[in-house]
Amino acid sequence: MKRRLISWLKSFFFWELFQGLRVTGRYFFARKFTIRFPEERTPKSPRYRGLHALRRYPNGEERCIACKLCEAVCPALAITIDSEEREDGTRRTTRYDIDLFKCVYCGFCEEACPVDAVVLTRFHDFHFEERGQQVIRKLDLLKLGDRFEEEIATDRQTESKYR
Amino acid sequence: MTDDIITIEIDGRTLQARKGQTVIQVADEAGIHIPRFCYHKKLSVAANCRMCLVEMEKAPKPVAACATPVMAGMKIKTRSEQAREAQKGVMEFLLINHPLDCPICDQGGECELQDLALGYGKDVSRFTEAKRVVFDEDIGPLVSTDMTRCIHCTRCVRFGEEIAGLRELGATGRGENMRIGTYVKKAMASELSGNVIDVCPVGALNNKPYRFSARTWELSQHAVISPHDCVGSNFYLHTLRGKVQRAVPRENEAINETWLADRDRFSCHGIYSEQRIAQPQLKERGKWRKVSWDEAIEVTVERLQSVIASRGSETIGALISPSATLEEHYLFQCLLRGIGSSNIDHRLQQCDFSHDETMPVAPWLGMDLNAVENLQAVLIVGGNPRKDQPLLGHRLRKAALRGAAIMYVNHRAYDLNHLAEQYLAATCDDLVIQLAAIAKALMQKTNRAVPDALQGLLEQVEVDEQQKTIAENLHKADRALVLIGSQASLSPLYSYIVALSHCIASLASVSFGTIHIGANATGACLAGALPHRKVAGTADEQPGLSAHKMLQSARRAYLLFNVEPELEAWDTATAHRAMHEAEAIIAISNFASPTMREYADILLPLASFAETDGTYINAEGRWQSFTAAAKIQDDAQPGWKILRLLADRLNVSDLAFNSAAAISKVLREQCRNVVLNNTVANIKLPQHDFSAHNRRLQRIADIPIYSTDAVVRRSLPLQQTIDGMEADKASIHPQTAAEYKLETSEYVSVTQNGNTIEFSLQLNEAIPEGCIWIGLGVPGTEALGPAFGDIEVSAS
Amino acid sequence: MIEKVILDQQTVLPSEVLAKIDKHIAKFPPEHKRSAMIGALTVVQHFNKGYLTVALMDAVADYLDMPEIAVYEVASFYSMFETEEVGENSISVCTNVSCMLRGADAILHHIENRLGIQVGQSTEDGKFYLKQEEECLAACCNAPMMQINHEYYENLTPEKVDEILDQFK
Repeated sequence: MKRRLISWLKSFFFWELFQGLRVTGRYFFARKFTIRFPEERTPKSPRYRGLHALRRYPNGEERCIACKLCEAVCPALAITIDSEEREDGTRRTTRYDIDLFKCVYCGFCEEACPVDAVVLTRFHDFHFEERGQQVIRKLDLLKLGDRFEEEIATDRQTESKYR
Repeated sequence: MTDDIITIEIDGRTLQARKGQTVIQVADEAGIHIPRFCYHKKLSVAANCRMCLVEMEKAPKPVAACATPVMAGMKIKTRSEQAREAQKGVMEFLLINHPLDCPICDQGGECELQDLALGYGKDVSRFTEAKRVVFDEDIGPLVSTDMTRCIHCTRCVRFGEEIAGLRELGATGRGENMRIGTYVKKAMASELSGNVIDVCPVGALNNKPYRFSARTWELSQHAVISPHDCVGSNFYLHTLRGKVQRAVPRENEAINETWLADRDRFSCHGIYSEQRIAQPQLKERGKWRKVSWDEAIEVTVERLQSVIASRGSETIGALISPSATLEEHYLFQCLLRGIGSSNIDHRLQQCDFSHDETMPVAPWLGMDLNAVENLQAVLIVGGNPRKDQPLLGHRLRKAALRGAAIMYVNHRAYDLNHLAEQYLAATCDDLVIQLAAIAKALMQKTNRAVPDALQGLLEQVEVDEQQKTIAENLHKADRALVLIGSQASLSPLYSYIVALSHCIASLASVSFGTIHIGANATGACLAGALPHRKVAGTADEQPGLSAHKMLQSARRAYLLFNVEPELEAWDTATAHRAMHEAEAIIAISNFASPTMREYADILLPLASFAETDGTYINAEGRWQSFTAAAKIQDDAQPGWKILRLLADRLNVSDLAFNSAAAISKVLREQCRNVVLNNTVANIKLPQHDFSAHNRRLQRIADIPIYSTDAVVRRSLPLQQTIDGMEADKASIHPQTAAEYKLETSEYVSVTQNGNTIEFSLQLNEAIPEGCIWIGLGVPGTEALGPAFGDIEVSAS
Repeated sequence: MIEKVILDQQTVLPSEVLAKIDKHIAKFPPEHKRSAMIGALTVVQHFNKGYLTVALMDAVADYLDMPEIAVYEVASFYSMFETEEVGENSISVCTNVSCMLRGADAILHHIENRLGIQVGQSTEDGKFYLKQEEECLAACCNAPMMQINHEYYENLTPEKVDEILDQFK
């Protein structure tokens, strides 16, 4: 009864408002920690698990050998692979799809890959405009790999001793 | 026999064993696993992988379990310190040269070496030197080689020698340079060659058409039955996302043991041929239009009804493949009889139907398949089971290895994989006369009577020494078989062959068997897919026309169920003409060849053998049901559903089944009292003059192994084998070739019934003189005439 | 009217070779005809001036009623059979311990210099083949030794080697 009475009286003096303004005022003058994304970016760990990519060997040959271990290990069943014998007799994928809606970015695929073909890059700010675009195809994955190769290679290098 | 049983102890368990067994056999029976690579229960013991080393009490060193016979009181430890140490040591040696390419190896996931390496291998190799590299050989279109992976277990070598009867692979070189291969470049020719894929414990020999298309763990496995021959081999189809990837054998000791014929293993690669019909189609003014099922069925019914209304239902002819399922045969004949036509047949390759009335209910081997290997004498008339029914051929080979006298009477010699006597008959008359002489020899030996119908013929013939030998072999054997092979029905004197073979069998008091082309000829007969008989062999009061007759006296409309009459019929040219002249051709089919697209009016896409439920009855009379393995391609439908729908729209009652199983249940009920029996009584034989001598060049034919049905004809890997590539050649004896001045010609023009076709020519001493052999069912032979008869040939 | 089928096989072996093979076959029971294979291959190799061809091996297989690959296996296993074209006279110099201690290396060098070839090569005129010998040839008592066309020559000196090789001119 007494508390209710006090709170009724306080409401005439905007007590809470001033309390809130005090916090605002403190942060208004404090040092800023937000950044201007996308012009400014936070630093990321070399172990960051962002968008997938398929890598190539330095001679331009794709690494993936269609062993399908990533497909087998994927807990979300996000990867679909079809394979065949390429003309030169090597085992290659004809289809390598990752469904990014299903993917949980656990990184198991990278872990399972015997040839370091599929990797998770630091790239994370991607979006889709239409349904169906969430399935990312082999050619796009290879393009991503080409785009980030330098970064991917340095990241794997720095982390190699912990793997 | 109690003396034969001894007691041994393995891993502390007391086990009973028969003398002569090896330790590994006893352990396998008791469910104790001993690791092994070179040991295979169906092959001889080589003991060269050493992986099965186990500790034996009182033995100074570990012993090989596969090569150590059991002895009373023996104490074996398979998991002791010493045994494990030995096994791990062997594994380390095996892995020295084995490449680490499991991620790209098709064996990965089902590899015996991979599995055992997990238990016995080290994680790091101590071998720092360079590994051995072996260059691969091309051993044909069926088996891929990665010989660097080979661990020299020699299972494939022993398979070739002991099972296939054709030693194609061998271990050449020695030590580090030893390699498994053919030494000279050549393709494997055995009809069982695919089995080396299964016996190979590593990925050295693998399935070539399946190469790199899937991984073992993502495949789902479905048990099915062979759709190509009357052995009814059990196998699994492996599918990935509903699509068939490969076939592997399913062990059934009573039928196919652990083996599978190449035709069954690789035919599944024909399912997804480009000629597969995706959607129902109608031909309108010469153009094909894709339509919905509703429209297609509606038009089909309209067409059939208009033919019935204007010309009567007997102007409809219906042909069904002998490899269709039992359910399809049943519904097909019910449908046709329901609309008033009895012109139904599955025996396209036959031309002599004069003994139809007296023929047994259904063709039957006359015994169980595994009884064949214990026979002491076999006379095969018209056929080469090695190629026609490869796993029956394997049983015959086993019998031959046990000393059985195997005798063939054929129109040509075959390349056999066992000892046998082959007797040749150039003409159909000759073949009958030979059989008559054998019967006569037996008659003289046993003093028994022969049927009246044959007496006249038997009086005409003379017996010589060889026929006496055959008679003697059959007569003295306790267990013998006279078998009419699946090629015999091509003969224009088939009824004589049946009558005489039966006569020989009963004179010699031995079993009598008949086998037919296709997976389900026995089922077709029981289901009533015959012009003169209904379900379970009950006579049709208004018999229809047989396959040959309904093509000869052309019908107005034909209903084709997965057949290509222009290739499969006895007289291909007549069949081709009949198809062209008919008003309406309704083809329910897996595939449509360009030829079929020319003559057909309605194409109804049929689910392939892998996509339908069904039942096959094999030559032993064994009912084997299976369910669909793969997802149906495009808009096709299982045969029983299509036929049920047609029956419904054509107002044929009582066919509203909801599943294939329901149909076979009904059939089983109706066939409850049928006992398969090959006795031929009161056979009616056509008049034939055996004294006439025809000096003209004759065509002889049989159905080559990879030309038996539509799927096999479209399986590319099978067509690329030696057997597949030789099927479309014309073969002739060198002597006859010289007579017709063909010795040097590579190509010849062959004329039959006024049609000329060019063939590549093969000189072959297996063909009798005065004949030219041209296969039946081989694409490109549509325009030629009957399988047997006059033919002209000239160099081109 | 009834004919037994006999499929003809091509024969490439002349009758005098077959007669020699028959002598080997006669040593074994008829059902173990294949035991004569090594003898037969030796005869055929000498007949063909030092090496076996696939056609010759096929002919042996045919004559002994056995699969061709079984003959290839034996011919490729034993080092005394040559399956590739080599010089007519095959020289094997033992360089194993006993011979080595008694100067086999010098003998080998002498032969190499004289013929102008290295171990494993054949002379250009096709007369000699200097074979890579696998192991001890079991004549240690009279080391150093060599074998020419599977015949033993012992207690060798370079002069003696010259003498022997001259015989093969």
